[in-house]
Amino acid sequence: MKERLEALLEEGVAKIKSAKTEAELQEVKTQLLGKNGSITELLKEIPKLDVSLRPEMGKAVNAVKAQLTELIETTREELKLKASQIAPDFDCTLPGIEPKIGGLHPITQMCYDLNDAFRSMGFEVFSGPEITSEYYAFDNLNFPPNHPARESMDTYWLEGHDKGEANEKLCLRPHLTGDSVRYMQTHKPPYRFVYPGRVYRNETTDARHERAFFQYEALIVDKDFTYTAGKVMIKSILSKVFGRDVPVRMRAGFFPFVEPGFEIDMGCLVCNGKGCSVCKHVGWIEIMPGGTPHPNVLRSAGLDPDEYTGFYVNIGLDRLVMMRYGVDDVRLFHSTDLRFLKQFR
Amino acid sequence: MKLSLNWIKDYVKLPDDMDLTRLAYDLTMSTVEVEGCERLSERFEKIIVGEIKEVLPHPNADKLRICKVDIGEGEIKDIVCGGSNLEVGMKVVVACPGAMVRWHGEGEPVEIKNAKLRGVPSFGMICAAVEVGLADLFPVNDDHEIMDLTAFDAPAGTPLAVALDLDDIILEIDNKSMTNRPDLWGHYGIAREISALYDLPLVEFEKYVPTTTEKYDVRILDAERCPRYIGARIEGLGVKPSPFQMQTRIWRVGMRPINALVDITNYVMLATGQPTHVFDSNHIIDHIEVRRASEGEALGLLNDKQLKLCTDDLVIADSEGAVALAGVMGGAKDSVLPETTSVILEVANFESRGVRRTALRYDNRTEASSRYEKAVDPERCDQALSLAMKLFAELYPEMNVTAFNDQYLGKLEEKEIDVDFEWLDRRLGMRIPQEIVARKLGALGFKVTFTEKGMHIVVPSWRSTGDVSIKADIMEEVARMYGYENFKATSITTTFDGAINQLEVDLVRKIKEYLAFRCNMQEIFTYPWMSDECVNAIFPTTDGILALATPPSPNERYVKCSLLPNICRAIVKNERNFDSFDIFEEAQIFLDSDYTQNYKGESLPCQRKHLGCAFVGASDRVAELFRYAKGVIGAMPSYTHMESFTFEKNEKPYWADDVVWQNIMLNGKKIGDIALLSKKSALACGIKVLSAILVELDMDALVPFKSRTNRYTRLPEFPTNEFDISFLVDSMTTWNQIYDAIMGKKNELLQDVKFVEEYKGKQIPEGKKSITIKLIIGSAEKTLTSQEIEAVANSVMKKLSKLLSADVRTV
Repeated sequence: MKERLEALLEEGVAKIKSAKTEAELQEVKTQLLGKNGSITELLKEIPKLDVSLRPEMGKAVNAVKAQLTELIETTREELKLKASQIAPDFDCTLPGIEPKIGGLHPITQMCYDLNDAFRSMGFEVFSGPEITSEYYAFDNLNFPPNHPARESMDTYWLEGHDKGEANEKLCLRPHLTGDSVRYMQTHKPPYRFVYPGRVYRNETTDARHERAFFQYEALIVDKDFTYTAGKVMIKSILSKVFGRDVPVRMRAGFFPFVEPGFEIDMGCLVCNGKGCSVCKHVGWIEIMPGGTPHPNVLRSAGLDPDEYTGFYVNIGLDRLVMMRYGVDDVRLFHSTDLRFLKQFR
Repeated sequence: MKLSLNWIKDYVKLPDDMDLTRLAYDLTMSTVEVEGCERLSERFEKIIVGEIKEVLPHPNADKLRICKVDIGEGEIKDIVCGGSNLEVGMKVVVACPGAMVRWHGEGEPVEIKNAKLRGVPSFGMICAAVEVGLADLFPVNDDHEIMDLTAFDAPAGTPLAVALDLDDIILEIDNKSMTNRPDLWGHYGIAREISALYDLPLVEFEKYVPTTTEKYDVRILDAERCPRYIGARIEGLGVKPSPFQMQTRIWRVGMRPINALVDITNYVMLATGQPTHVFDSNHIIDHIEVRRASEGEALGLLNDKQLKLCTDDLVIADSEGAVALAGVMGGAKDSVLPETTSVILEVANFESRGVRRTALRYDNRTEASSRYEKAVDPERCDQALSLAMKLFAELYPEMNVTAFNDQYLGKLEEKEIDVDFEWLDRRLGMRIPQEIVARKLGALGFKVTFTEKGMHIVVPSWRSTGDVSIKADIMEEVARMYGYENFKATSITTTFDGAINQLEVDLVRKIKEYLAFRCNMQEIFTYPWMSDECVNAIFPTTDGILALATPPSPNERYVKCSLLPNICRAIVKNERNFDSFDIFEEAQIFLDSDYTQNYKGESLPCQRKHLGCAFVGASDRVAELFRYAKGVIGAMPSYTHMESFTFEKNEKPYWADDVVWQNIMLNGKKIGDIALLSKKSALACGIKVLSAILVELDMDALVPFKSRTNRYTRLPEFPTNEFDISFLVDSMTTWNQIYDAIMGKKNELLQDVKFVEEYKGKQIPEGKKSITIKLIIGSAEKTLTSQEIEAVANSVMKKLSKLLSADVRTV
């Protein structure tokens, strides 16, 4: 009988440990300790034993019974904690529920990236009025009187304000550069500021041309600033925007309000300068004009061009954003189409 | 603009081992952007001269022949061809396998392969001119003619490019990169730049000296618009094709050869950048005059356009009327005709702006007008005249100039500039040896005299029409010729005087980021002009709204006076794809009022930065949308650190629903509106299904805090208690009334009251609504007993029934 008891104990412990659910455990409990359980059966046999053996065996069987009962209870606790809180058919492969997300316009994003970069170099952010007089749009920017941009085909003049003296004629600003003069007229040199904003040209639109587009201009005016320092500035800006070192070159270019003027090219990021269809196989992409402010521009700001000089760049934000994301139609920026805008987070 | 390198070599001797990639790069860096560089002969690879030895019928096709063609060194090949002009002994163009040709001159070039044509094997192909891109040089009488090279002295097997002397490099220049350089619009100008870049000698034009003493009658009646006019009568001419060499040069750079007389004028223009023209002298009556057109004067152009001119147009006229549009295009009546034997050669200078206006007015820009527009200098007439006379003499040895007149009324002044070295060194950041400065400037035509401290410079005429006028221009010339890449990059020097602190700039960004990232709204951009239907939907009148003189379209003439019309348009656009969305825009608005005077008497209209928002959803969600929108706007000040505003009902916006609207107030002043777009306005804008809560806010009126002003509140030592009450009130009772009733003269243990919910429906009598509120009750000194809490609640209930006749339902 002793041997049977030992075998039952061993078997009972194994059965309890192999139970995976509370129900299975309950089943095991019934098998061992229930009305007809194996331990209960054994207890029933004790009275049939020799009297001298009864107390010892009774103790031994009861001890096993207690031991198994305790093991069952602790196992039950463990199984309870281990059990899932949800039905087992829960599907973890279902897609997640995304937070509802709004966003800034991709051009605003680019503009803020640039603001951060320029701010870290000590530039202020300035913005001027979008309706300006011819005086600020052209005259004090050294646009000669016969410059084609003055004609109505390029500029949106306002009805009833499209004739008369330069300070009476009003238009939607055709570029930002006039704003720089406003800033300089109301601040003291040296200057270091950026002035992002939207400008307007009366043009036929297509995938690469818009009537309203964003520019980002930066201007430094100081004594003895050489144009070669401008190159350093541009390089740091582009590296910030594209997250890596970008080769930059400056070559001859012409804009009325700078002298000398440059076309500033960046190394094509698609082919790393090897030549591809994006850069028309030259390895460089024209990214912005720049140069030294024309003496007449400095004069209109009340500065002596012999004393002061500086550096100016005009970044076409639309183009930069198009390059950043591979957008192929500039008109999408003003489309207000949320299917487009929601892609930029 | 296209340039032929061979042509440039007429004027500057380039070394034979010149690295073309380098040349294109150097020109791009220092002068003009070279966009392309094509070796012309590459177009004709594996295309050779063949000689037809025999022409045999094709066994399976009536229109095809089998030609036995000598393709060099006696090698005879069978080539199947359908040409209508095949003859034994004829020299033809053979495209060998591997050559690229355009079938019948159409589509993309395809590669020639050995093939069977109707069962007969054919080696390559005998080509028509159009198939190898030479139709302009080899005109045909019928489409089936193949190109005939019999007249060329080239044995069979000679590569076509060699036979036609087409071994040339074509440079493609970006026109935009030289709008400021009228001197570069011809081969000679670019040759001059190359000569300066590489220190190579430049060929000069010999001045033409007229031999005739007879004055041709030229009368300039508007010297401002026409500073110079040279007229020369040349006799002993005739219409014939120009020499092949001249034809190909014109063709290589993108123009079409016509006949010798016209080709000479085009050749001169392409060489010097100076347009010239020839009239048939038999059709010029009495004399030539340069004058303004009379109003309505008729002129038929060479391209068959019939113009009615205006007094701003400058014309070339004879005693009977206008014969040409000055600087733009010749007239049909006096053009070169097949029977022309004598011409009037015109070499003239016209004022740039006038030419541009006229060319644009009649949408008739030409090679000539685009050059005049850039401001050509009048001195260049001499070069053009010299070259033209040389060509006439070469092509027509028996020609005779029988009358001549050079009316030069507006002589150009050459600019003079002083530059001191100290300034130049400072700006360049380095000293460039005087010898280099003198050499480079000299090569570009500047006359340089060194003085003690600097130099005195006389600008050449071709750079004096606006291009070079101040010392910064001279600095640019020196720097670009020295090579921009040869300057070392220098660091930016700066003085540090305090961190940037721009509260207004920061506030705008904070607001936009709050709306986008906390409130999950999408920023949009719209144009500054508005469509008429949206303007009329939002405003009762268009008074005070600015308009464009030349609008992008007839119904988009009004300039933004509010952001709402364009936001409504954006709703229309997105309604198709989304049934719920929140959008915002930050932009300037403009009003035809409150003009401010500025520097130099500039007077600008009122312009303010506005914020516009739309919360769009199904129309059964209006109440929820409004409360959400109000929550977004109401919480904005505390998230963006500015003075907070309030909502009041003072002045209903025109576009707003009769019930759902409030004004946004800051310090007692209205700064914006929040309201449901009325059904009528929505329909007028074209919004079909959804409802929209619109918000417009004057951002310039907002007041940012100088720093964050949230203050720390100590955590309560004793628990606060929440106590909910529901009661019935008249359905017109507002939350403002309830709040004031509870919080006016309140028990000090009552800390706050919050709105929980409103209910109308079953069990609530008609004209009533049930309101549930939450009272926040607590003391700073002790833990309250339940009796004390209930006492506060009871006092609130009493006030409600007394002041608002509320019927308390549950406690």
